[in-house]
Amino acid sequence: MKCISCGGECRLTDEVCPYCGRQLVETSGYRSDIKKYKGKNEKTQKILDKVASENVPMIISVLVMVLLLTGIGVMIYINDNAYTFREEFMRKKAEKNYEGSLAEIQKYLDAGDYTGFAAYIEYNNIYVHKGPFEDLKLLGRFAEKYVELVNCVEKAVVFGDNAERYNPEESVSDCRWAICFFYQEYDYYSSEIEEDSYKEYIYDMKKKADKILEIYLGMDGDEITSFLQSSENEQEVYLEEVLMPNE
Amino acid sequence: MNKRTIFSISIIVNIILCMFFLFLLMDSYKAIYYDYLTRDTIEQNALKNNIEQECYGITAYRSRSIRIGAEIPKEVQDYYVIGEYADLLFLKEIHKRTQNNDTANDFESRLHEIRNEMPEYKSIFDSIDKSVKKSVKE
Repeated sequence: MKCISCGGECRLTDEVCPYCGRQLVETSGYRSDIKKYKGKNEKTQKILDKVASENVPMIISVLVMVLLLTGIGVMIYINDNAYTFREEFMRKKAEKNYEGSLAEIQKYLDAGDYTGFAAYIEYNNIYVHKGPFEDLKLLGRFAEKYVELVNCVEKAVVFGDNAERYNPEESVSDCRWAICFFYQEYDYYSSEIEEDSYKEYIYDMKKKADKILEIYLGMDGDEITSFLQSSENEQEVYLEEVLMPNE
Repeated sequence: MNKRTIFSISIIVNIILCMFFLFLLMDSYKAIYYDYLTRDTIEQNALKNNIEQECYGITAYRSRSIRIGAEIPKEVQDYYVIGEYADLLFLKEIHKRTQNNDTANDFESRLHEIRNEMPEYKSIFDSIDKSVKKSVKE
């Protein structure tokens, strides 16, 4: 607007003319309106701030709830897959420490302690089917069968005078099965054993299996052959006679 | 329902969720750091029962994990050592007769060590000795 005194250009918010200094009464209504609106605006802003500040804890609470629900989901997933995680962790640890694990394995093998070897492989979840320990595949396979044979014979023959044996017939059947399985596998994989880098240990394992049958089941070399060639019933009868003489 | 009520409900829900989360956290920790025994699902009392029932062969192979350094809970450690004794005695005979003399001697030393460490189980060790000796077919 222009000052009616000097004609200078004035703003609606000016109280006096910046050129002649005249009191601008014409804009007083506008200025009071502006003041009023500013006041209202501040009030509205305060209300808005109050509403917003009231909502902050609610928003935080919702965020916490979302985080907790996510955490619960993650924990349920971990819980369900804990076994796999652990196995994977053990496997990777053994692979990372390849030299150390192999040295430990070699110790068991050199001692001819194949039950210890199998327990070590199982405990450390060493995967022999592929990966860095693949060379041990056949040996691991035979060790598994050898351990079954040892366990079955051990279970069937080592018990006290007043033992409360549960189902000894089952022990006989398990023994028969473990013996047959070990020797069948040995025959089946004979050509592969011949080419295996750990063949000497497999041969030694077989020697020990023969010895177990000799020591604890009273079978010598020829008797083992005839036992393996006999029928299931004959095998059961033989083992029942040896393992359950008084029953 | 005003905001205050909704907020109070959300706090209660959060507390419940938090408790559930902590429970799952502990459960997951246990599940991940389980020991060999839990993995093998051998009941804590299984070995004790086997020993009481004089089924030493079962005790022997079930406790083999102790030989490879598996962590065994203290409360069942004795039973595992008894099992180890039976296992070593059984295996010693095989090693002795297959000319693995070093291994047989190592087993023998460990057997002596176990006997000396646990004199309170002398009668059980004697019974194991007797049962292994009895099982050997001359």
